Amino acid sequence: MNRALLILLALAGAVTAAEITPERLLQAQSDPNTWLMYSKNYSGWRYSELKQINTTNVRRLAPAWQFQTGVTGKFETSPLVFDGMMYVTGPTNHAYALDLATGRQIWHYSKPLPPGVSICCGQVNRGFAALGNKLFKLNLEATLVAMDAKTGAVLWETQIDDIKKGYSGTVAPLVVKNKVILGVAGAEYGIRGFIDAYDADTGKRAWRFWTVAGPDDQGGASWGGDSWQRGGGSIWVTGTYDPETNLTYWGTGNPGPDWNGDQRPGDNLYTTSVVALDVDTGKLKWHFQNTPHDVHDWDSISDPIPIDSVINGQKVKAIVQANRNGYFYALDRASGRFLYAKPYTKVTWSDGIDAKGRPILIPGQDPTADGNKSCPAVGGGHNWQATTFNVQTGWYYFTTTEGCQTYYKNHQEFREGLLYTGSTGSPLPLEPTSGAVIAMDPGNGAIKWKFELVSPPPSGLVSTAGGLVFAGTREGHFMALDAKTGKVLWKYQTGGIVIAPPITYALNGRQYVAVAAGSTMLTFALPE
Amino acid sequence: MKTVMLLAMAAAVGAAQTPRTNPLAGNPKAAEEGRVAFRGSCSLCHGIKGEGGRGPDLTIGNYSVGSTDGDLYGVISEGAAGTEMPGFAARYESDDIWRLVSYLRSISGSGTSRVTGNVSNGEQLFWTKGQCGQCHLVNGRGKRMGPDLSQVGRTRSAKYLRESLVNPGLDLTPGYQMITVVTKDGKKIVGAQRSYDDFSVQLMDASENYYSFQKSDVASIKQEYKSLMPDTYGKLFSEAELNDVVAYMTTLRGTRR
Repeated sequence: MNRALLILLALAGAVTAAEITPERLLQAQSDPNTWLMYSKNYSGWRYSELKQINTTNVRRLAPAWQFQTGVTGKFETSPLVFDGMMYVTGPTNHAYALDLATGRQIWHYSKPLPPGVSICCGQVNRGFAALGNKLFKLNLEATLVAMDAKTGAVLWETQIDDIKKGYSGTVAPLVVKNKVILGVAGAEYGIRGFIDAYDADTGKRAWRFWTVAGPDDQGGASWGGDSWQRGGGSIWVTGTYDPETNLTYWGTGNPGPDWNGDQRPGDNLYTTSVVALDVDTGKLKWHFQNTPHDVHDWDSISDPIPIDSVINGQKVKAIVQANRNGYFYALDRASGRFLYAKPYTKVTWSDGIDAKGRPILIPGQDPTADGNKSCPAVGGGHNWQATTFNVQTGWYYFTTTEGCQTYYKNHQEFREGLLYTGSTGSPLPLEPTSGAVIAMDPGNGAIKWKFELVSPPPSGLVSTAGGLVFAGTREGHFMALDAKTGKVLWKYQTGGIVIAPPITYALNGRQYVAVAAGSTMLTFALPE
Repeated sequence: MKTVMLLAMAAAVGAAQTPRTNPLAGNPKAAEEGRVAFRGSCSLCHGIKGEGGRGPDLTIGNYSVGSTDGDLYGVISEGAAGTEMPGFAARYESDDIWRLVSYLRSISGSGTSRVTGNVSNGEQLFWTKGQCGQCHLVNGRGKRMGPDLSQVGRTRSAKYLRESLVNPGLDLTPGYQMITVVTKDGKKIVGAQRSYDDFSVQLMDASENYYSFQKSDVASIKQEYKSLMPDTYGKLFSEAELNDVVAYMTTLRGTRR
């Protein structure tokens, strides 16, 4: 027996470790064993070809292992899976590498939060990105960290921008070619938002696109006075990428201050928009603003999903998005041309969308000093929760909050690092919001089924070729729905709120579904 | 992105050098700036005008944490131990906290309608004619289907209490939704929600029995955002009697932790 063969045999017991190359990321969809980026593939489909777990046997799905972080806070991570490892980010700058077979910890990264970080909505993180042997993660204090995937050791850490100006970071980065692309949060603290790309080897910034146009930029006239300086435009959710157009698509957040539009006259470009950027240069190719001059905090942060669809009888390379303002949109992904929009929940602020894609406003729906009821509620409609496009059914699936809210406004002087929202929204005490999981035909916006939930849904989704859509609830249930009918085929009480999006992968021929709930990472498989 | 604003921040600044009186007292601009900050950071629990909600009514002007400017500064800065009130020292500079104190002083007393009733008469009415103890607990006496009222005088204004007596459906204590279950053999069970999700419900009825039902096992489960409390107290009690009951309830202030 020769030496080479011996080594090969020794390797057979180990999980094959192949470097994550840009090419491998481009082919991510074709490897169902792994989960290499936030939404499985560059199109953000969050769809797996795996079908070992399917509509006929999912009722037997059972826990495989659980990993308790012991860290409180909202656990919003979408894990990565490759090389026999699961890479998990937790709240408050924690992260873990877990042995995929057993759930045992291989390494733990943590970094104390420096004082003075302003964070709107929880000390959360939504996941890693990977390239080569590196993992990339945003820390809350607006830094980008590159780690050695084998050890968790920090290879470099780049300060993205100044926390004193209100900047923070929660999003899972997107790696394209040799660039790590990300955006910042902080619109509730008067930031001027942006999307950045960094060199994966050095951590040096390659480009920046401001989500708030400055006076000399195209779109700069859409901001009255100097309001652009604190115009908001957070990035909360990872963008998508189309290799054919070489464009990366990102949804941008609300203008600031959130609820007082008087302090920022104009359309406030490029907030509450979908922007398409050249991935090499960061130059804006096109933009589409869903909610010009937003005053309800209706971020356009739902995943912008590239799909090929038939719309109005024509084959179209589209971008679809279930927007927080209550409308489902389809755009041409090469040009940004508006194709159609259709409401998917109760909408009282507008009487439809005109032929150019601009909302037809209904007067009297804006926030006032004494409060004004409008629908949807401040969280949407569909918010940031990950969505899924199921290739098998051809349908698009997302969660929604059903209901309305009272919106208030106040004049507010800007002070650096302090909450800058121009008042607030408050729930209607006797009209609580509820939720739903929606299956939609993305070609025409028709709702195929709607699974109603007693509470607004906090979790993201994943769908599979096994005919299943997995979802989680505020009350702790993790469940499998029939992708065709919306019928619950399996459920499990996790004991903690399910905020994170699930993923699915395979190890040694066995399919697993994983999801974070409470402060625990759970995995499920069929009994052996 | 702020469906729920998580405002709990580490309380980092000691109060050793904090003045005991508000250096911005009497400055109307400070109160107005405090009002704006209050809406952003405090209104979720204390109501948009400080009228109370999950947290105490701040318009009464009577605070369980103490009544001096320094006491108010301390609780905003450090939070209130044993309650859900977080500290804001890491978020707000000293002057910002004083602005909030200025705002609290400006609304203090605005929510207190004069309590004219007779406390002992009200206590008598509460337990006898009103039969309030059939559903409510006060310092260990009474029953447990409805909310515990042992410190309701601290968390709600007299105006709110009076409104709730006459029209209990105007506002609902979170977690006390009305649940009606009809079993497959036609039996109807009505009670107050303890837990409710997409697949099951847990409730307590007026006899303090707990029930747990799977939705798949019963004919129907209905959750309503309405109070189980009778809406007849406006007729049962005279105006004077209502004032007496309210007067008694404002004395229910629990024990200070």
